[in-house]
Amino acid sequence: MADKSSAPQARDKLTFLLALVPYLMDRDRVSVHDAAQQFGVTDEQIRDAVRLIAVSGIPGDTAAYQHDDLFDIAWDDFEDNDQIVLTNLVAIDDSPRFSGREAAALIAGLQYLSALPENADHRAIAVLMAKLSRGASAKPSPVAVEGSETDATLDLIRKAVSTGRQLEFDYLNSRGESERRRVDPLQVESVDADWYLRGWCHLREALRTFRIDRIGEPAITSEEIAFRPREVALPSSLFEGSPEDVDVTLAIAPAGLPLVADYLLDGSTAPFGGGLVRATMRVSHFHVVKRLVCGLPGLVTVVAPPEARELVEEWASAGERSYDESR
Amino acid sequence: MAGQGTTARVPVEERLFSLVLALLATDHGLTKSQILSTVQGYRQRYSAHGDNANLERQFERDKDDIRELGVPIETLESPGQAGNNQSLRYRIPRGEYELPRDISFTAEETALLGLAAMVWREGSLSAESRRAMIKLKALGMETVEPVLAYEPHVRVREEAFEPLNTAIEKRHVVRFGYLKPGESDASVRTIAPLALVQFQGRWHCCAIDPESGERKTFLLRRIVTPVSATGATFAATEGDEAERGLRDLGEVWSSHTAEVVVVKGTDAATRLRKQRGAGMSENGNLLLHYVDLNILADELAGYGPEVIAVSPPELVIAVRLRLRAVAAAHRDAGEARDRG
Repeated sequence: MADKSSAPQARDKLTFLLALVPYLMDRDRVSVHDAAQQFGVTDEQIRDAVRLIAVSGIPGDTAAYQHDDLFDIAWDDFEDNDQIVLTNLVAIDDSPRFSGREAAALIAGLQYLSALPENADHRAIAVLMAKLSRGASAKPSPVAVEGSETDATLDLIRKAVSTGRQLEFDYLNSRGESERRRVDPLQVESVDADWYLRGWCHLREALRTFRIDRIGEPAITSEEIAFRPREVALPSSLFEGSPEDVDVTLAIAPAGLPLVADYLLDGSTAPFGGGLVRATMRVSHFHVVKRLVCGLPGLVTVVAPPEARELVEEWASAGERSYDESR
Repeated sequence: MAGQGTTARVPVEERLFSLVLALLATDHGLTKSQILSTVQGYRQRYSAHGDNANLERQFERDKDDIRELGVPIETLESPGQAGNNQSLRYRIPRGEYELPRDISFTAEETALLGLAAMVWREGSLSAESRRAMIKLKALGMETVEPVLAYEPHVRVREEAFEPLNTAIEKRHVVRFGYLKPGESDASVRTIAPLALVQFQGRWHCCAIDPESGERKTFLLRRIVTPVSATGATFAATEGDEAERGLRDLGEVWSSHTAEVVVVKGTDAATRLRKQRGAGMSENGNLLLHYVDLNILADELAGYGPEVIAVSPPELVIAVRLRLRAVAAAHRDAGEARDRG
């Protein structure tokens, strides 16, 4: 069978070739290494691409790909010195435009980042988005993310880093008690609408992850920070599993499955009866489960262990009782 | 495949690259048979007197792939031969291919675009932002490192996202099973999708009911069956549908206000107060905006006794019903029984 539609890798490779040519044209001479740095690829990927470009071209008047119809490079410089010098140019003059979907992906990404202090200048962002639109070969596709005001806590976190001072704030621990934490901010991470601060906690003397919407009364201290961003290697996962983690068995209505899929242990799902699905979730504490299950009423029920079932029952009953008491 | 050339295979990217070069270099366009017989990667498999049906299909797929990258391919009819497919000529109009010369990006802008591309790590948005960054790098711009290290991420885990995105582009009417918030059974919906927007951390599809013409919004997380095309298409709409979708959701959101009491010092107190647009009533209660009463009721139920809904009355009832149902479902000792 002949080639099917080319794989995404072929599209990426074509994009890379169409971008690399004008980059090389703008420079009389560039080292393989510098080009690799610019595009974030390996030296060998650059060499492969240059070898391909150097034998490519247009069929030309003779339809035979004559020498003048092909790109050419200074081969000695390339083979001996790892330098790229284009000596003959064909067809391409400039960088390609963005596709409508490519422009939309970057514009939506910028919208999402509008809470960052770096994005505080909303007019500059609007100008940038307009440039992306204008630089696209089609109208950006209709994908968008809600923007927001610059987040005051994020701004303070950034100030703490730029002034080299520790940040302190109130934070509830897992037992629900508030503590004043002092932290060297290292990285801000987000998952959808949830934003997290990862940093060195001077109270715990360890790396910790904090939900930014749980941070209360943040302030910059006069204490100097011990660790700066990018100086400390952070584990790739926001929340490290711990040996003390516990498993909870859930019964889930099929319609509720996509809503909890992220929390479930891989391969733990099995039919439960009554059309429900049984699955296991690993949590640091049963208290996590009571909030999750009460937030998905009718869709998720704890099957085991009994302590977790009781905790959910108590949490929901206490909530219900608070309405009677508030009358 | 029998009948195909036996010469060494030309890599896919070389064939695509050669096709782009050939179409860029021609002013008057090339016919399909000129392309297949002369362009690198096709010519090796071209048969001057035989059947080139496979090669023609290959060319059609390659054109789609190249267009997908934002490269415009123009089709011209030869003078006096309108309607004759074999005489159609193809070319890439240079002005529509090339990034306008006056577009450049500062180091700060390049850094922001790098972060914006980082937001997407799954599916087509990730591939598209990656390719956009490759094109951006061709401009050789400097970049600056932000003071803080950032790892922003918007998940696109909803299986409905890609098929809806394609349906929007192709204007296909689609059908799917939808679990409306507050209901426990899914129902089948048939819609013309117009835009995908993330609002308050949730992906929504803005759509029109093709029968009634009514505008509707669907939560992607609540689409519980595969999205299938009905075979029908719909007419293009005017204006920026994504912007309109966000604006409509924003209007619904700001027109709905709930009043709640939060217990001091709890998780609910800290987090709900920080919700966007959260305000204070005259008697010190918290005011929250919302899009969907049932979704807010789910969220408030999750806080258990840390928050009490005060108004609107439907919200109070909805939260109480949820808490009662959860408590009842967990009340019997031991293992939960299967429920019909």
